[in-house]
Amino acid sequence: MSTSSKVTISFSDGVERQFFALPGQNVLEAALKEDVPVLHQCRSGSCSSCLAKLVEGKADTLAGASSTLIPSEKAQGLRLLCVTEALSDCTFQLGYDSAVGTNQATEAKAFVNAIDRLADDVVRLELELAEGDWFEFRPGQFIQIKVPGTDAVRSYSMASTPADLPRIELLIRLLPGGVMSTWLLEGAKIDDVLEISGPYGQFFLKEGEKAPHIMIAGGTGLAPMMSMIDALRMRSGRKPKMLLSFGCQTQGSLFHLDAIELRQQWLPQLDVQLSVDRGPAPSGVRVGNPVEVIGASEPLDPDSVAYLCGPPGMIDAARRHLEQLGLASENIFAEQFVASQ
Amino acid sequence: MSDIKPVRRRASESVEHRTNDERTQSQYQPYKDAAWGFINHWYPALFSEELPEGAVEGIQICGVPIVLRRVDGKIYALKDQCVHRGVRMSAKPMCFNKKTISCWYHGFTFNLDDGKLSTIVANPNDRLIGNTGVTTYPVEEVAGMVFVFVRQDDFPDEDIPPLSHDLPFRFPENSEKFPHPLWPSAPSILDNDAIALGIHRTGQSNWRIACENGFDNAHILVHKDNTIVHALDWVLPLGILPVHEEPIAIVEDEDGPKGLMQWLFTDRWQPVLENEQLGLKIDNLKGRFYRTSVVLPGCLMVENWPEEHVVQYEWYVPITDDMYEYWEVMVRICKSDEDRSKFKYRFDRVYTPLCLHGFNDCDLYAREAMEEFYTDGTGWDDEQLVATDVSPISWRKVASRWNRGIAKPGRGVTNSTKTSSIRMRRLAEGKAPGYFVEKINDVNKF
Repeated sequence: MSTSSKVTISFSDGVERQFFALPGQNVLEAALKEDVPVLHQCRSGSCSSCLAKLVEGKADTLAGASSTLIPSEKAQGLRLLCVTEALSDCTFQLGYDSAVGTNQATEAKAFVNAIDRLADDVVRLELELAEGDWFEFRPGQFIQIKVPGTDAVRSYSMASTPADLPRIELLIRLLPGGVMSTWLLEGAKIDDVLEISGPYGQFFLKEGEKAPHIMIAGGTGLAPMMSMIDALRMRSGRKPKMLLSFGCQTQGSLFHLDAIELRQQWLPQLDVQLSVDRGPAPSGVRVGNPVEVIGASEPLDPDSVAYLCGPPGMIDAARRHLEQLGLASENIFAEQFVASQ
Repeated sequence: MSDIKPVRRRASESVEHRTNDERTQSQYQPYKDAAWGFINHWYPALFSEELPEGAVEGIQICGVPIVLRRVDGKIYALKDQCVHRGVRMSAKPMCFNKKTISCWYHGFTFNLDDGKLSTIVANPNDRLIGNTGVTTYPVEEVAGMVFVFVRQDDFPDEDIPPLSHDLPFRFPENSEKFPHPLWPSAPSILDNDAIALGIHRTGQSNWRIACENGFDNAHILVHKDNTIVHALDWVLPLGILPVHEEPIAIVEDEDGPKGLMQWLFTDRWQPVLENEQLGLKIDNLKGRFYRTSVVLPGCLMVENWPEEHVVQYEWYVPITDDMYEYWEVMVRICKSDEDRSKFKYRFDRVYTPLCLHGFNDCDLYAREAMEEFYTDGTGWDDEQLVATDVSPISWRKVASRWNRGIAKPGRGVTNSTKTSSIRMRRLAEGKAPGYFVEKINDVNKF
C-alpha cells in the first residue's frame, strides 16, 4: 500500500504550495523537487533550518533517522522536514515568507581582517568578502566556513548586519583541540583567505515587529543577537523595547561587554541582563542562568517575541519558561548551537 | 611543525589624556555617522510667507528633495523626484487642479494627499497608474513657520511623533525643573499668540559643526567685538567654564523633546572676565543673562535673548553633508495688532541688523572656518577637545541615543555629486549651491 500523500506548505505571507510526497521520502526532498522554497542546510536532522510546524495530518520522523528536536517541540507539532515522512495528507506552516527561500546560499571567498581574543574561550573573527563576491543575509542567519587545511566545515552566525557587508563579524567559541580553534590559535593570519558559503538558517529577525523583543543568549549565542540589535537600531519607524539576557559560564568567559554597553548607550530602548552560571561575578553581573531573570522584576508583555540562541539545555529551559509566562510558541524563535570539535 | 603564532588584539592607537578618547568617541559613533543628518524628524522648511496660496517651492533636507504646494491654505509636501526619470517637479511647477502636481517633463501626475500616481497626462490608461507614487511628508504650520516631517520612504504614518517632540523645552511648565530667577519664562513657538520672525540662509559647512557652535560656552569669544554688545554695554564673558560635576542636564523624558539644558548663570558655570597674561578684561556694566539648550534634531534655544520676553531659536537643517540651512528665529507673544507691529518694527530695525546679522554672522563664518578640518574626517579623529567641550560631547551622546534614524548619503539628488559639470556651470554663473531648487526660466521670451 504505497500511496503518496498530498503535502501543503503554507508560508507566512499566505502563499501555499502543494506537492506529493512518497512513503519513505523526506518532505524536504519532495518540496525541493517541485521548487518549493523551503530553507534547508544540513539535510541530516540537526541544523534545524528546515523547521516547520505540522498543523494538519500526520507526519513523523523517518524510520532510522534522528532529529535534534526535543520532545516538547515535537509535541507542539514542530518537525524537521529533511527527516520527516508524511503519513497522510498534511499541512506544514513555515515561519517565513515565500521570498526568503529564494535568497539562496552562495559560495564566496573572504579575507581575514582581524582576529581578536575576547575572553578565555572566545575569538572575534572579522572577514571581508573578496572582490566580486557577495551575498545578502538576514540578521540572525549563519555562514559556513571551510577550516583551512582540513575538510571540516563549521557554522557561525553573523554578529554584524547586512549593512556592514562586505565586512562580516563572527564570534567563535574556542574548544580544546577543535579544528577551527586550532586553526584560529595556531594558523590564522590577517589576509588569509577563507572559503565560506551562506547565508543559512531560518533563525532571523522578523520584519516590522513592534512588540517587545526578548533575546536570550548563552555564550557565543550572543552573535546573532548583536546583529539583530544593530539591525533594529537602524530600522525605520518606532523601535521596539528590547531585553537582552546574556549568560556565560564564568567571569573569565564573559565577553563583548563593551560592545553591549555601547548598544545600551545608543539605544535607550535596550535593557540588558548579564549573568554567569558560577561565581564569582563582577559587579552588575548576576550569578544564575540567563533564563530565570526574564519576567522576574516586571511582568512580560504576552505579545512579546523571543529569540533564543545557545546550547540545547538553555533553549529548552527558556522555551518552557517563556511559555509559562504566556508567550505563544509561534513567537519564540530558537537557534541551537551544538559545539563541534 | 607549523608556525605558532599567538592570537593578539590588533594594536590600537593610544589616545589617552583626551576629553574625547576612543571610548568616548565610540559612544557617539552614530553621530559621527550622521554626516547627512538625522532623518525621521521635524524640520523647518519655509516661513509661511514664502509659500503664498498656490505657490510651489522645492527644497532639500537631509539629502531628500521635497516639493511643497499650498492649496486652499493647506500645505502638502511630497518627494520632489518624479518616479519616472527623477526630474524635480518644483523646477517648473505644473498643476492642473487642486488635488495633484504633475511632472512638467512627461506628465506623471501625483496626488497631493497620498503621493500616488493618479494619471499620466498623455498616457491615462497605463497600468502604472495607482501602482506607484512618491513619499509624502507630514506638514505643520505654526506661528508663521512651516515644518515638515522628513522621513525615510518606509517610515510608518502611525509612528510619526508630534511636532512638539522636536521643539525646545517649554516654560513655565519646566520652570520648576529648570528655574530661571534672573529672567521671565521664555515664550514657545507653540504658545497661543506666538509670532516667529526670522531669516534663513545657507551655510557652507556640515550641519553638526554648525549646531555645536551655538551652545559651546567657549565660542562667545567670537562675539567680543560685536556692535550690539558694546552699544548696550553688555557683560559678555570671554568664556564660561564648567565648575560642577553636572554642568548640563540631559533631558530624556518619554513624552517630549530629547536634548540637553545647560545650567548657565548658576554656580555650575564660572564666567571668565579677564585674562591677565593677555591684558584682556571685560569692563562693560550691564548683566546679560541667557541660557542655551538644544534638542533633537538640532534646535537651539537661547532664553532671554536678545532681550526679555523674547527667545531665539536656531536650526541647522542638513541639506547635504557639506551644507546646511541656517535658521535664526525670534519668538515673542503678541496678543494685539499693536504688539505685532511693534515686534516687527524692532525685528527689522534692531534684531535683524545687529543680532541675526551683526552678531550671528560671526557664528556663520566661524563654522565655515572649521569645515575644511572636518570635511574629510580629519577633524572627527584629530580634534583636541577641552573641558568646555563638555557641551558638544554631551550633545553628541544624547543625539546618538535619541535620533530616529541616520540619513543615508543623498543619491541622485542635487549636490550629492560634487563634481558634476552642471554644478560647475551653476557655480560659474555665480550661483552658490543652496537650499532651494534651481527654477527653470521660461524660454518663450526668445
